[in-house]
Amino acid sequence: MRYGGDNRGRLLIIVLLVTSLFLITLDLRGVQVIDGLRTGTQAALTPVQKAGSWAVTPFRNFLSDVTHLGRTRNQMEKLKAENEKLRLKLQNRQIADAQLKQLKSVLDLAGSAGYKVVNAKVISQGSSTSFTQTITIDAGTTSGIHTNMTVISGYGLVGVVKYAYTNSALVQLASDPAFKIGARIAGSQQIGILSGQGTRKGVLQLLDNTTQVHKGDAILARGSQNGRPFVPGVPIGEITSVDNSPGAVTQTADVKFYANFSTLGVVAVVVSDSATDPRDSLVPPKPRPTPIPTVTIYATPGAVEPSPTATK
Amino acid sequence: MTLRRFFLSAPLFLFIFLLQEAVVTQMRLPAGGFNVLLVVSLIWAALSTPEIGALTGFGAGLMMDVSQTSPGPMGHWTLVLIIACYFIAFLGYGDDNIRGNPINIVLLTTIGVVAAQTVFLILGLMLGQEIGSVKQVFFVLAGSAFWTAIISPLILKIVSYFHSIIFGERSHI
Repeated sequence: MRYGGDNRGRLLIIVLLVTSLFLITLDLRGVQVIDGLRTGTQAALTPVQKAGSWAVTPFRNFLSDVTHLGRTRNQMEKLKAENEKLRLKLQNRQIADAQLKQLKSVLDLAGSAGYKVVNAKVISQGSSTSFTQTITIDAGTTSGIHTNMTVISGYGLVGVVKYAYTNSALVQLASDPAFKIGARIAGSQQIGILSGQGTRKGVLQLLDNTTQVHKGDAILARGSQNGRPFVPGVPIGEITSVDNSPGAVTQTADVKFYANFSTLGVVAVVVSDSATDPRDSLVPPKPRPTPIPTVTIYATPGAVEPSPTATK
Repeated sequence: MTLRRFFLSAPLFLFIFLLQEAVVTQMRLPAGGFNVLLVVSLIWAALSTPEIGALTGFGAGLMMDVSQTSPGPMGHWTLVLIIACYFIAFLGYGDDNIRGNPINIVLLTTIGVVAAQTVFLILGLMLGQEIGSVKQVFFVLAGSAFWTAIISPLILKIVSYFHSIIFGERSHI
């Protein structure tokens, strides 16, 4: 039998719809209770997320191995379990090494610029089913992190702190469609606005249509007043293609971000920028082509053995 | 009676919410992954009456709204899920061809997830949110459909089991 509905059912649907519209209105009007609800939920979720992060990391990499843990009864099973534990330890060590490497590179970058940073681990990555690109880090207001602070990795800009909670913070990634940053081209100092596109590529809209932009040009952050939300000089990415349509009002270019947002493990939040603008000093060096040695063997008629000659 | 049963299902949805926030988001699955709370609430609605479906959408939507990763205002997901869950429940209610066949429920859930996300997107646009490139939107929608089609058959039996405990054996698949 098809559902025909009754007055009570219809009233319930209307009440629910009106409640949701009421909530939207309250939130858009900036009612404090709604903000408090989200902050409270995040404060309660942070320990669960930390536990989840700890639990999922080895599981993610050794799914098949973990299924055999805890089934040891005889010697062979004990050895197997021991082997699994050792592999897990090794995996954790590799993860720690990778995080250490990321930490070292981010500290190198922050040190070169003279930024004062707070390091943090990425404990959660926002679901892109909501069409946003965010990460959650395990440091918050107690570590001196507040909203509108620049977040960097060893490669360059990661994003900006959108919300800061007591022990965690939500970071809006540079790839988020709503993300916008004032940027300049290293060298020529031409300025423009870079927007995220939901992928690792962003779009740079130059303010001056007459400037020459080239593929491979490095893009840096222009910086904001008092270094918030963006400190100056942070490398963002490099130009991969330029759109030079003759009829276009402004010139645009595709930019590939230096940071790989899907492999972020350790990031740093810039809590205080340097006294002086680092200018172009943070532009990553271009990769040098490695010379490939070739060996040519000449066969001389009448000679006993061919003699090898090395050339570069 | 309806409200009592609705509140009985609250702990289950709270657990799924924690599972989504603490575990699923850590997986970093390709193509955007999936939202287990969204999938479960749509399956739950497909097995329920339209009133229960709407109430389920309201509860699940509120949970998704308090999630820190929700970009919209409070009530955005709530509104979308009330509509989506109500329609899914309305389509399935009294029709044994749909409710009695797991394949139909999986299909209905997959379409429901994509439809809910599309409505979420349109509402977001109306509220002034940025959505990124059209290519990326289609990529996320296709990814959601793919993951939902994978996940739904795996959890359908469990969801159906809990649903039958709370609402009686008639809804058990």
